[in-house]
Amino acid sequence: MSDSADTEILDIADLDQEAWQDYAIEQGWSDGLPLVMPTEASVARMVAAAHGDNEGFAAISPRQVVPTMASLAANAVMAGAKPAYFPTILAGLRGILDPSYNLHGSMATTHSCAPMVMINGPLRQALGVNCSSNCFGQGWRANAGIGRAIQLILLNVGGGKPGVMDRSTQGSPAKYAFCFGENEEESPWLPFHVRRGFAPEDSVVTVMSGEAPHNINDHGSTSAEGLMTTFAHTIAQPGANTVYGKGPYMVVVGPEHAATFHRDGWGVDKLRDELWLRARIPLKHISEENLATYVATGHKPTGDFLTICRGPEDIHISMAGGPGKHSAFIPSFGGTAVVSTRVKLPSAGA
Amino acid sequence: MRIVNPGFGLVPAGAEQATEGKVDWLNDPIVLFGNSKPNARELLEGVKAKLAGIRRTDNIDFIAKNSASQGAPPEMINDTAKKYRIALLALGD
Repeated sequence: MSDSADTEILDIADLDQEAWQDYAIEQGWSDGLPLVMPTEASVARMVAAAHGDNEGFAAISPRQVVPTMASLAANAVMAGAKPAYFPTILAGLRGILDPSYNLHGSMATTHSCAPMVMINGPLRQALGVNCSSNCFGQGWRANAGIGRAIQLILLNVGGGKPGVMDRSTQGSPAKYAFCFGENEEESPWLPFHVRRGFAPEDSVVTVMSGEAPHNINDHGSTSAEGLMTTFAHTIAQPGANTVYGKGPYMVVVGPEHAATFHRDGWGVDKLRDELWLRARIPLKHISEENLATYVATGHKPTGDFLTICRGPEDIHISMAGGPGKHSAFIPSFGGTAVVSTRVKLPSAGA
Repeated sequence: MRIVNPGFGLVPAGAEQATEGKVDWLNDPIVLFGNSKPNARELLEGVKAKLAGIRRTDNIDFIAKNSASQGAPPEMINDTAKKYRIALLALGD
C-alpha cells in the first residue's frame, strides 16, 4: 500500500475554537455541526482504547482508501466520542465494510439510506447507550458519538461528500447519527445478537443501510392480530426502495406492543412469517407507470401484490424504546444486508 | 499546532490506474454502460445518436449491470476493459 496525497499528521496554524471550526468546515470535514479538534494527544487516547486491535480494514468506498487506526480515531474524536466508544465504532465500521453491506452502492445511491447501528450486549450499559425512551433521538452521548463517528469516517476517509459522491436526492437526518441499543432488559424475546448466534455476554454491533425510522402508532389494538394489521399496512409502502432492490428491513417493536405480541403467544418467528405474508403492497396502490417499470425490471407481482423482501429471513425483529404504544419500521436500501459484528474487548479474548 | 488528518488513508496495493496509449475518440470501440435503472438505456441511446454525428457507431455497444443497487461484477468490468478503450456510464435515473 502507498499513502494518498495527504499526510497523516497536519501541522496547522494555532487556531482558537471559532477559527478551528471555520478551518474544519473549509476542509470539508464537518457534517455541519461543530467538531472537536483531533489533536495528536486526543487521537492517541482514542487509539489506546482499541486495546491493540490490529485487524486490518478494507478500503472504504467510494474513495477506496484504507484507513489507519489514527485516521479513524481522529474522526471519533471530532464526533465527540469518548475513547471507551472506540471499539464499538470499529466493530460497526467492520460490519459496514463487509461486502454484503454494499457500502459503495449505499453511498452512491440517490436513496436516503444511512448506516443504522444497533448495539447489543453488556457494553450498552457500560457505555450508557440509550435503549429506552427516545432511543432514536437526541440526548445520549454514546448514541450520538458512536453514530456520528461512523458517519464522519464515511465522509472523511470514505469520501462520501454530500452532492458529490454521496448522491442522495434528499438525504436524511439519520445521516447525522443513527445509533441505538436493543432494550434487552424489557424484551420478551431473546436478544437480537443471541438469535444470531452470539453469546449473551458478547457485545455486538449490528448495521444495516437503512432509512430513518418510520413510526408505527397503534393505541387501539389490544391483540397481536390487531397490531399485525397496523404493522403490515404501515410497512407495505408503494414507495419502498425494496420493491426493486429486494432486501432486508428491521422492525423495532416498542415494549408495550412487544408485551401484547408475547401475551398472545407471538414470538419472533411468528412475527416474521406473518409480516412476510401480510406486508405486501396491493397493486391498486401502485401507479400503472410505476408497475410497468417494476415488471420491466423483473419485479413481477405475487398475485395481487408486490413483495418488499425475499422472504421471512429478510425481516429482522428487535425491541427498543420506552413506555408508549409506538413501534418503528426501518426500511433498508434494498441491496444491502444486516451485518452483526462482535466488539473486540480484552475481556472477550479478542 | 499538530492534528491528525481525519481524511488520511492508504491506497490499496494493486489499485494503481493503468493507462496506455492515446484514445482515438473517432474510431476506438465504445461501450455504453448502463446501471439498469429506469431510463438508463434510453439515456445511452440518446448518447449514441449524438455520437453518430461525429464518429462511426458500428463499434458502439451497450452493456448493463444486473442490479441498480449492486456494483458490476469484477469479471464484467475486466472483460469490458479488455474489449473497449472508452466507456460512457449512465449515472442518471
